[in-house]
Amino acid sequence: MTPQDITKLIVRVSMKDRGAFDLLYRQTSAKLFGVCLRVLNDRAEAEEALQEVFVKVWTKADRFAVSELSPISWLVAIARNHAIDRVRARRQPVAHIDAALDVADPAPGPEALAVAGSENERIYNCLDELEQDRAAAVRGAYLKGESYAELAERHSVPLNTMRTWLRRSLMKLKECLER
Amino acid sequence: MSLAEDNGPERGGDEILAAEYVVGVLPLDERQAANRRIENEAAFARLVDQWEVHLAPMAAAYQPVEPPETVKPAIDRQLFSGPAGAGSAAAGGGLWASLAFWRGLAAAAIAAFAVYAAIPFINPPVQQPEMRLIASLAGDGSDVKYLAMYDAADSRVSLSHVSGERATDRDFELWMIEGQNPPVSMGLIPAGATAHIVITPEIREKLASGAVLAISLEPVGGSPTGQPTGPVVAAGDLKNL
Repeated sequence: MTPQDITKLIVRVSMKDRGAFDLLYRQTSAKLFGVCLRVLNDRAEAEEALQEVFVKVWTKADRFAVSELSPISWLVAIARNHAIDRVRARRQPVAHIDAALDVADPAPGPEALAVAGSENERIYNCLDELEQDRAAAVRGAYLKGESYAELAERHSVPLNTMRTWLRRSLMKLKECLER
Repeated sequence: MSLAEDNGPERGGDEILAAEYVVGVLPLDERQAANRRIENEAAFARLVDQWEVHLAPMAAAYQPVEPPETVKPAIDRQLFSGPAGAGSAAAGGGLWASLAFWRGLAAAAIAAFAVYAAIPFINPPVQQPEMRLIASLAGDGSDVKYLAMYDAADSRVSLSHVSGERATDRDFELWMIEGQNPPVSMGLIPAGATAHIVITPEIREKLASGAVLAISLEPVGGSPTGQPTGPVVAAGDLKNL
């Protein structure tokens, strides 16, 4: 499926076309489930989240017309933001069991980088301009939906320090992206 | 349209908040506040969208995982069974906007659109598929919303009025902006739930995905100068359908 095909499916879904919805699910649910699973780190919860994500896609498909995202990125953004909302709403932040083993993990593997085309290199080049631990914090937060509180604990710095760090890194990133 | 950056001492405040939102680090209460602003403030929603675009390449690292087969039937049950709308009601926030959006469409436009959507299913593409473009037009500080559809087959732009009224002594004028070129008038938008504007061959040549449609508020009869003279009340990119 090309991005154009997925765009067509989303537009049809916005017109409440169930056939298009079924096809869109078949084409994209594995990627979106991967997103939910990574952020929530819990299979049952990720299944519930995926269900809610596709309900959102059905009801909000018309919003795609005002987004500049590619169709698959738009769907990933819905799934990611929903999973992060869910993880924040948990009564107690459950420490990721693999947190200790996982510190260096957030960088995409070689296969993911190979998939990434030239358009994608810019964000990676800009991340490379940041100090290593800050770039890792941005990546970890993005992929796993880590909160300021979790990042502060992992990097052993006060919450406000973490926030200042990350904000500065994000402004640097923006400067670089717009160069 | 004013830029968020113009808002005085909090310069950069929304920009950084949008970035924090997209990266995902905000605590629950701040995320919820940001979610509400995304729903209600077009300028903030656009900042968030831009950060999503910047950071989206990182999502390549998410490995696809086949979900269990029970998930899709559960979605369908939630959306499509039980009393009408029961499933949709569970969707929460975005629902009313979506409903209002689509209710604003004239039945005729929906029907015509549905036929286009169905054609590829009914018969395989025998003739050359004609170009069709769609744009959702909206703006900051304005409740004017239109859905625009362009069908190359009949050389006209169809507009569905979603919300927002014009003042009695003003007209809405539709413009096409292509790349860095000055806006080109496509004509006045007749009042009403749906409107059709027949476009000239020159504009037809330039209409393509990526061009921007914009609506400005003009004196009755349209801009006297050939360029927009009033505020732009709604705008949006054309996308392929």
